[in-house]
Amino acid sequence: MSWMRPLGRVLIPIVGAMAFAILLLLLAGANPFEALGLLVEGSVGSAANLSDTLTAWVTMVLAAAGLVVTFRAGLWNIGVEGQVIAGSIAAAFAARTIEGPVAVMIILTMLAGLIGGGLWGLLAGTLRVYGKVNEIFGGLGLTFVATSLTTYLIIGPWKKAGVASTGGTDPFPRDSWLPTIGTLRVSIVAVIVAALAVVAVYFMMRGTRFGLRLKAVGQNLRSAVLFGIPNKRYLLLAFIIGGALAGLAGTIRVTGFHHKLVPTPSGAHGYLGILIVLLAGFQAKWIAPIAFFFAAIAVGASQLPLQMEVDSSLGGILRGVLVLFVLLFGGWQARRAGARLVADAAPPVVPATPGGEG
Amino acid sequence: MRKQSGVSMILIVLLAFTLLAAACGEDTSETTAAPATTTTASSAEPLKFGMILVGPQNDRGWSQAHFEAGQYLEEQLGAEMIVLDKVNSADLPDKTVDQVAQDMINRGAQLVFLTSDDMRDGALLAAELNPTVPMIWSSGDSAWAEGEAPAPFDNLGNIMGRMEFGKMIAGCAAGLTTQTGSIAYLGPLINDETRRLVNSAFLGASYCWENYRGETTPLEFTVNWIGFWFNIPGFTLDPTQVANGFLDAGADVIISGIDTTEALDVAGQAADAGESVWALPYDFDGACELKPEICLGVPYFNWGPAYLEVAQSVIDGTFTATWQWNGPDWTDLNNKETTAIGFVKGDGLSADNASTLDQFIAGLADGSINPLVGPLNYQDGSTYLADGETATDQQIWYTKQLLEGVTGPSE
Amino acid sequence: MSLELRDIHKHFGPVRANDGINLTVEAGTMHGLLGENGAGKSTLMKVLSGFHAPDSGEIILDGKHIRASSPQDAIGHGIGMLHQDPLVFLPFSVIDNFLLQSPGGLRLDRRSARREFEEVCERFQFSLDPSASTRSLTVGERQQLEIARLLWLGARVLILDEPTTGISAPQRVKLFATLRALAEEGMSVIFVSHKLEEVEELCQRVTVMRQGKVVGHAEMPTPASQLVEMMFGAPVEVEAAQPIELGDPLLRVKDLSVEERLLSIEALSLDVRGGEVIGLAGLGGSGQNTFMRAVAGLVSPAGGEITLDGKQIAGLPYRDLLDVGIQYLPAGRLEEGLVQGLSITEHFVLSDPDTPFFVDWDAAAEHAARAVTANFIKGRADSNAEELSGGNMQRLLLAMLRPGLRLLMMEHPTRGLDIESANWVWSQLLSRREDGTAIIFASVDLDELLRYSNRILVFFSGRVISEVNASDTDVEELGFLIGGKVREQQ
Repeated sequence: MSWMRPLGRVLIPIVGAMAFAILLLLLAGANPFEALGLLVEGSVGSAANLSDTLTAWVTMVLAAAGLVVTFRAGLWNIGVEGQVIAGSIAAAFAARTIEGPVAVMIILTMLAGLIGGGLWGLLAGTLRVYGKVNEIFGGLGLTFVATSLTTYLIIGPWKKAGVASTGGTDPFPRDSWLPTIGTLRVSIVAVIVAALAVVAVYFMMRGTRFGLRLKAVGQNLRSAVLFGIPNKRYLLLAFIIGGALAGLAGTIRVTGFHHKLVPTPSGAHGYLGILIVLLAGFQAKWIAPIAFFFAAIAVGASQLPLQMEVDSSLGGILRGVLVLFVLLFGGWQARRAGARLVADAAPPVVPATPGGEG
Repeated sequence: MRKQSGVSMILIVLLAFTLLAAACGEDTSETTAAPATTTTASSAEPLKFGMILVGPQNDRGWSQAHFEAGQYLEEQLGAEMIVLDKVNSADLPDKTVDQVAQDMINRGAQLVFLTSDDMRDGALLAAELNPTVPMIWSSGDSAWAEGEAPAPFDNLGNIMGRMEFGKMIAGCAAGLTTQTGSIAYLGPLINDETRRLVNSAFLGASYCWENYRGETTPLEFTVNWIGFWFNIPGFTLDPTQVANGFLDAGADVIISGIDTTEALDVAGQAADAGESVWALPYDFDGACELKPEICLGVPYFNWGPAYLEVAQSVIDGTFTATWQWNGPDWTDLNNKETTAIGFVKGDGLSADNASTLDQFIAGLADGSINPLVGPLNYQDGSTYLADGETATDQQIWYTKQLLEGVTGPSE
Repeated sequence: MSLELRDIHKHFGPVRANDGINLTVEAGTMHGLLGENGAGKSTLMKVLSGFHAPDSGEIILDGKHIRASSPQDAIGHGIGMLHQDPLVFLPFSVIDNFLLQSPGGLRLDRRSARREFEEVCERFQFSLDPSASTRSLTVGERQQLEIARLLWLGARVLILDEPTTGISAPQRVKLFATLRALAEEGMSVIFVSHKLEEVEELCQRVTVMRQGKVVGHAEMPTPASQLVEMMFGAPVEVEAAQPIELGDPLLRVKDLSVEERLLSIEALSLDVRGGEVIGLAGLGGSGQNTFMRAVAGLVSPAGGEITLDGKQIAGLPYRDLLDVGIQYLPAGRLEEGLVQGLSITEHFVLSDPDTPFFVDWDAAAEHAARAVTANFIKGRADSNAEELSGGNMQRLLLAMLRPGLRLLMMEHPTRGLDIESANWVWSQLLSRREDGTAIIFASVDLDELLRYSNRILVFFSGRVISEVNASDTDVEELGFLIGGKVREQQ
């Protein structure tokens, strides 16, 4: 069964991590089943909780969708975090300077985020393609720049009148907020945008010449050149698309969640996107469920200290353990499959499944 | 049934007690009559209330003071606290303040305390979305009709202590103790409140420096801001470094304005290395315990009485959203049942200075000493208070600049 | 110390790098190991020195079977190998490099080591400063350091892999003197090279390898012609390529110069006519591939002109040259040519310049299935490239060539292929000539060069040292030319 292997690849580390988490909870003297129950209840147990989980899911999914594109092009776009932040900044700029009805503001802020994130991606790409700066280091550097820029804007030009606090800017005008229903915090617009992005990336990778050529560039740059593929252009395009989707995630973080620019607008969702894509084996179709799992942990974990004497950082530990298990299991699988599948250009750890689609 | 009636009995006794306490403490709070909100707590079940803290609940500072006020409510009312600490965008990236409030309400909280200036936007949003749930945004001004930014929610009240007195006392202790004539203030972020408190500390320090010690050279008073209420690595300045910088620049007393205890830690290390330095932490009555021998004292908030009053009003169904700015109980600064702010002297304060400080406090209490009387100028030379003018609440609350004589940025 | 290798086998995947090697080296002799690039010499030496474990076979040292599973083991047995690029740690000082791998626990006795190092240096008149940084040493000095280290570690069999590449003439003289001195002390020296002169100068006995096998042993002196024959195979009757009417001048290369890190090409000129086949001969890395890459726009020339049908094409990227009818197939089929992880269908889609933006995968799969059948590729349309054998990879690459090419360039068109595949490849290539396609190919197979080329250019160190008509020469002459021995032949 062709779906068994990828499913196993996803489930085995999750189950392993869960077992480990239960052990941890036992060691901490907490009732693990109560804790896990709270996690579930806190993430999907009510409309409000589900809505919070979906809010986190949207930005994780967008960042991860963008990363599918860059990973397919063989790029370790660690700078995705900075691209999310750049998108947040750009969207905040639009929200603060432009006035208009809600529909117009949705479009303008998202456009701004796409441009901001895309530009940040292009910067990393330019460093990589023309400056020979490895995208990991370039990306980390640019993330640092984006973070510093955020802090600067918040305590500098965009500060609240008479206040110099890194707490955040003034809230945007209401017209720039993504519309929500009732007391639920999730925006239907955001969910639709995220779903569309995943579907678009899936079809782009699977059904288009662009996606195929990108895959060729990612798997083997030298061969790609011989197929007449303008590899620099494709690498840059991958960075732009990946960055733009990350920027869109950043937009939704500020217009649909924080409603202002805060020093950490991304909430590390860019980095989480990397883990999600690793778990997903670089395939778009697995992003949505895995991101949901991550979002559920992130949101559900905040319920633990509300009900039990457990620190909310347990959610972070659970996430870390999960990733560790994925890497271990991925490495073990790659070993079993033999070194022949490990190509230089392909991102290591979890080998791309042969014949895989986006 | 028997059990329930037992609970009711206790509640009635408590109610009577708190009504009494409220009557006694009447003078300190400005209560305006407003129609009660619709929420009524069933007298059969204990009150459930939410407590949202910006920092760790054991920070020996701002957040712990609130947390212990919550525990005080649990003791006094048999109420149940739902608490979440470290609610800020760096530590809790996937929940906003309003979502946390919503979670608590969904878990049955009938009253929510949002205990940081930083939670303004979340408090307003949560109040708007849950118009029937009473909430308190501590240190805020949203319910002050005469304030600069009143918000139209009759379920969101504010509570704040008149810490300017605490800071004057702290400043005095510093002014009495300093040997170098140089005092430093470790500031958090810059806003009306923090400028107010820096100025108060400066006024207290200058008063005691000049009047009790008879010094004629002006006191050096420097403030540096880290950017937030506590250290968030990468986003704020590191308070440890800032405090070390103060000592390197010649200051020998550090007054802390931040939520956490770095000023005392740094001064303690310097003292261990043989230097004559002191510090005054902030917010929490137990803050000196870390390094008592160099602690001159700590001005702290005692949120318990005001929170108890609010909680009782929710139980009674008489909650009204008011803006309270509660003063100290001058008869006993450290009476946990009555005072809103207090000051605990530290072991670092000499006996002589301690008695001088008591003199100062007595002066503040009877009104014979009021440093907030003109002439006072802002840093840029503009008039803050004209000659003989006594500051109004608005002038104190909305402090727009640091005072002339204070070194450091006003915004 | 005498050394015997018995029936050594070593496979890398389908490649039989060593296929039943027998070799005996007498104590106190210098033994040459000759062979073309890829003949299996280096693999054999790596087996001997513990870098590779043999699949089967025995190593007997002074009558004792030994098993070296690491270089450490090997040197423990007294076998030391000096690599083409001496394996020194550049950030370390000379003495630290000397001490690396030293036996005996964690404690380093620097002082006595330094004394011993100085003794070794004195013995062979190496002038190495122990505290100098290794980075400042020339390749020759690094070799000296490495030799000193191996001797200190107790090497009794010294293997040198192409030791004269990259060192100066005086250093070479010194190296040879050292080796002779060592042999006189009873040490066995194995000297791996493809340079005839050096082997003639140095060795008492020579073993020649070809395609993973030993083709013969010879006591020196042996005439060079005989060694060439052993290296490249017996002269076979060359069937002349079917003569074909050459077309108009097509490609014109004038004064082309290319500068690469290890090699530069200077002032190379060549005219090629439609339908012409040009063979590029020479030892590996003599400039044949660099030349083709420059013409293909994959490396940018430092100077000169390249015109195709009179149009200047120098400096254009490969993807533009594809559109004017130039295509290039490098030797590394899976490394450079095919894409691992992509199916045959996906390869055909990639290679088709007319693929629409939205790919019709059903049609593409059908097309690929037809091409697989038509080109006798053993595989399915959904097979991934890496699942194919070398021959089928080459078939796939040829099947993906664009129609109506003006110029086709190939590296080693038949390397590693069986006879049947090789013949099929050439039938495909030659049929292209009929459309006026010119072909330039590089090969180390002299028969192939002679059989299919109109003209052969012989490369040596980035220069074309000779251009011959294939019909006017034979394997022997070509072999000499490749070895850089053009003058002696005259």
